[in-house]
Amino acid sequence: MNLILLIILMASLVYFFLTERTSNYVKILTLQGTLLFAIALINLIDISTLALILILLETIIIKAIIVPQFLNQLRRTNNLRRVAQSQVAVFYSIILIVSIIIISFFAAYYVKNQYIQLSFFTVSISTVLGGIYFIIIHKNLFNHIVGFLIIENGAFLLSLAVGGEFPFLVSMAVLIDILMAVLIIGVFVNKIGSTFGDMSISSLNKIKD
Amino acid sequence: MMIILYFLIVSAVFASLSFFIKNKILHIIIAVFYSFMQIGLTIYAYLNINNFDSVYFKFDSLSILLNGLLNIILIPVLFHSKYYIERHVATIKNRGRFITMIIILSSALSSIYFTDNVVLVWVCLEITTICVTFLIYHERYIAALEAAWKYLFISSFGITIAFLGILFLSVQGNNANEVSLSFTHLNSIAHNIDPLFLKIAFLLLITGYSIKINVFPLYAATIDAKTTAPFAVNAITSTALINGGFIAVFRIYAIISKTDSFKWVQNILFIVGIISLFIVSIQLFKVRRFKRMFAFSSMEHLALIFIAISLGKIGLYAAMLHLVFHTLSKTGVFLHFGQIRAFFQSAWIKDTGDYFKKNGFSALVYIFSILTITAIPPSGMFVSEFLIFKALFETKQYITAVLIIILLTIIVYLIFKHSMQLLFGKLPENFKQENAIVSKFEPVSQIFLFSLVIYLAYFPPEFFTELIKSVLQIF
Amino acid sequence: MGISIILIIITALLFPGIVTFAKTKIVGRKGPKIIQPIYDLFKLFKKRNVYSQTSGIIFQIAPIIYFATVFLAAFFIPIGNYKAIISFNGDFVLFAYLLGFGRFMMILAAMDTGSGFEGMGANREAFYSLLAEPAFFIIFSSVALMTGHTSFYDIFNNLHIETALSYFVAALSIYILFWVSMVENSRMPVDDPKTHLELTMVHEVMVLDHSGFELALIQLAGGLKFAIFGTLIYNFILPIQNNFLANLILFPIVILIYALLVAVSESYKARNKMQKNAQWIITLSAISIVVFLSVLIITEKIIF
Repeated sequence: MNLILLIILMASLVYFFLTERTSNYVKILTLQGTLLFAIALINLIDISTLALILILLETIIIKAIIVPQFLNQLRRTNNLRRVAQSQVAVFYSIILIVSIIIISFFAAYYVKNQYIQLSFFTVSISTVLGGIYFIIIHKNLFNHIVGFLIIENGAFLLSLAVGGEFPFLVSMAVLIDILMAVLIIGVFVNKIGSTFGDMSISSLNKIKD
Repeated sequence: MMIILYFLIVSAVFASLSFFIKNKILHIIIAVFYSFMQIGLTIYAYLNINNFDSVYFKFDSLSILLNGLLNIILIPVLFHSKYYIERHVATIKNRGRFITMIIILSSALSSIYFTDNVVLVWVCLEITTICVTFLIYHERYIAALEAAWKYLFISSFGITIAFLGILFLSVQGNNANEVSLSFTHLNSIAHNIDPLFLKIAFLLLITGYSIKINVFPLYAATIDAKTTAPFAVNAITSTALINGGFIAVFRIYAIISKTDSFKWVQNILFIVGIISLFIVSIQLFKVRRFKRMFAFSSMEHLALIFIAISLGKIGLYAAMLHLVFHTLSKTGVFLHFGQIRAFFQSAWIKDTGDYFKKNGFSALVYIFSILTITAIPPSGMFVSEFLIFKALFETKQYITAVLIIILLTIIVYLIFKHSMQLLFGKLPENFKQENAIVSKFEPVSQIFLFSLVIYLAYFPPEFFTELIKSVLQIF
Repeated sequence: MGISIILIIITALLFPGIVTFAKTKIVGRKGPKIIQPIYDLFKLFKKRNVYSQTSGIIFQIAPIIYFATVFLAAFFIPIGNYKAIISFNGDFVLFAYLLGFGRFMMILAAMDTGSGFEGMGANREAFYSLLAEPAFFIIFSSVALMTGHTSFYDIFNNLHIETALSYFVAALSIYILFWVSMVENSRMPVDDPKTHLELTMVHEVMVLDHSGFELALIQLAGGLKFAIFGTLIYNFILPIQNNFLANLILFPIVILIYALLVAVSESYKARNKMQKNAQWIITLSAISIVVFLSVLIITEKIIF
């Protein structure tokens, strides 16, 4: 079951590069949040109840509900174009993301030791690299947020891979931090949208010397 | 003991008070009380050195040193915030917000210095990201918005990368109790951690935190941020915040120093330092704004510190000394920039000129500051830089030393070249004498800071030397 | 022995009719009879060929070779436990290259006419099949790896679908085979068989100059291709049916569902933009790599 969820997660990563509609990005993020919820539920059922509730909250409430809602609102208030074209043709992006997935398999084998769960590790590496690539190929600020969230999902998976369980207070702080960061990033994107009238990174060139 | 917890709670109360209550007097009172509280915290920590506090915190010599520095720069910064607020902040609401953000930022910085937990350092650095973003955007103009966005986004990105590093670090010996991810615990199990994982973790952490430390690879966004941020903010972000990022990396470095990967990590620090120096010497050619020039100067000093650290124990004393001097002098430089800004009503180098004739005393202070940050005697930084070169020669890295000297010469030349325009250059025609603001008391704090650098360099008091020496003992 | 090829031929004759019939029902029109395509075939068989003056011998023999290769490829396909007529280790490679060779001849024939449109169509056809080929190969190498056998018959007879992950593999394989069959037959998302504008055609434009007997062969080959892929999908859904009658009953049902799916996807999907076709097809290969990785996990070549 675990593996299937992980493979669907990996396939959803590929889909990020296939689709060019911003609404689809939000949908895939919701899907990934739900998948992470299921994965966390299956794997962390044994840890202390409080920590488990916190992690489930992080996945289902924040990753699958609040953040997508927020992104949709962002999309609407800024009248974002429905299709966000990337700098690189989709054709090459797909080839590249598949190679990233294959490379992360090799990388995972290279660093393998008995403390990490390889399956999570592989998917998390490819998700993080995919997120970075997603940011690189897009010029739109909205898509940069999406890429950032993809990286966050990869980080979450990595924490599962290393069996990462932090003290309760600390994981609480991490949770609030991430939420705050995303919300404030969103607020600033809104601000940029209304100030520059455009959400493209190319309009941000005022402070070059 | 729970002193830091109380400190944080009172800080939160102060911050929310100044946020919600719109009263000028109250803001001043809060700022004064907060400074006293900070000093009290440092003194308490000094008296209770090597004790744990509030579960996640520990008073050690490095944190006491850096928090002491934060106290020393916080008082002039708060004092100069008065001028900044009078000149640039229109509404009383925004004044309160400014004070709030400064308080949250310095409290977060204190927690970074004192905490003993890897994750808590990360959390507090993220808090500083948010505070600094709001402070950059405090004046609400377009370039500031752009810089704030870049800083916020790249910083969040870097912080996430650093989080991956922490996860790699936590692969071993991680069970969910309070000590599992403390530096103390990691120090004790350093031998058992997989060297490959340690290396990856360090690489990710230095990449992620480099935006705070102002060095290669993620330097660009923070340079932009410092170009647009208010000078009073820069006086903190370019000094105390850099120290915060530095301590986060340095503690991991201290852990790795006990393993076989030490040499590898030293090479990484060396590469980061050299590349940063190169970037500075190239970028300085095209700077056209004072704040940008000073930001690059910070980058130069941090690069030197990294190179010094990479030499091993021999360069460590020099590095620590350099860090202290950089903190003090860069605060002074940015505070002085506030006066230049007020006098010429512009942040661009091309809009300034003939400072010596128009405002002789301030010009003298400016020369003093430039001498200090370029490490020309009698500046105290000369001493620490001299020690760094001594370490380079003692480890027989002659070619590197010569290379660094060449790069430093270029940097010093460029900083002087840009300064000449201000001091003796032709005054631009659009300069209006009646708009120039001159305040007699403003340069006092800078003279104090620069003199402090000289004093600490040539006549170091006993406790100061002891503190630095005990920092070295963690190796 | 021969039952599988007989079933495939029957399917090939009926399949186009079923798809057309279903499509007309979906849009609410009164359609032709299901066996109408067979009448058309007979009509075409009786007509004589017309050749343009610029075309040469290749143009004349290409349809025959095309039909022959597709027909030969059909001999490789087993149905359930009905053994295929030709079966040896690695036969799926020859199967793929037989189809490839037929397509190659058709591309040559299209170039032979000297028409600009046909050259363009040939160019597209070559490009799309080039992209679709990896998907097919990766899928079949995956199942070959999974079962440890390399002929169609052995693969399908040893394909034990037990764990959740192998269900996943089978589902994805069927999904990919379905779309590969659409690409191979130049159907909806890649090409629109109904179109009347040469500029937007892919496959249709290549056969514009063919007439009479040769056109009939080409159309029959199209039906055969559908039948072949339908049979492959059937084998994935029901890996082994030892019962003789069960096979006879289940096979038509699966083929009928397949035909309906083709009709539905043709009716409700719009044709891709021409530039989007390449990325759409390469995605199939990307998904098949996911299948491949899952199979590596199942067979413990990669151990988690």
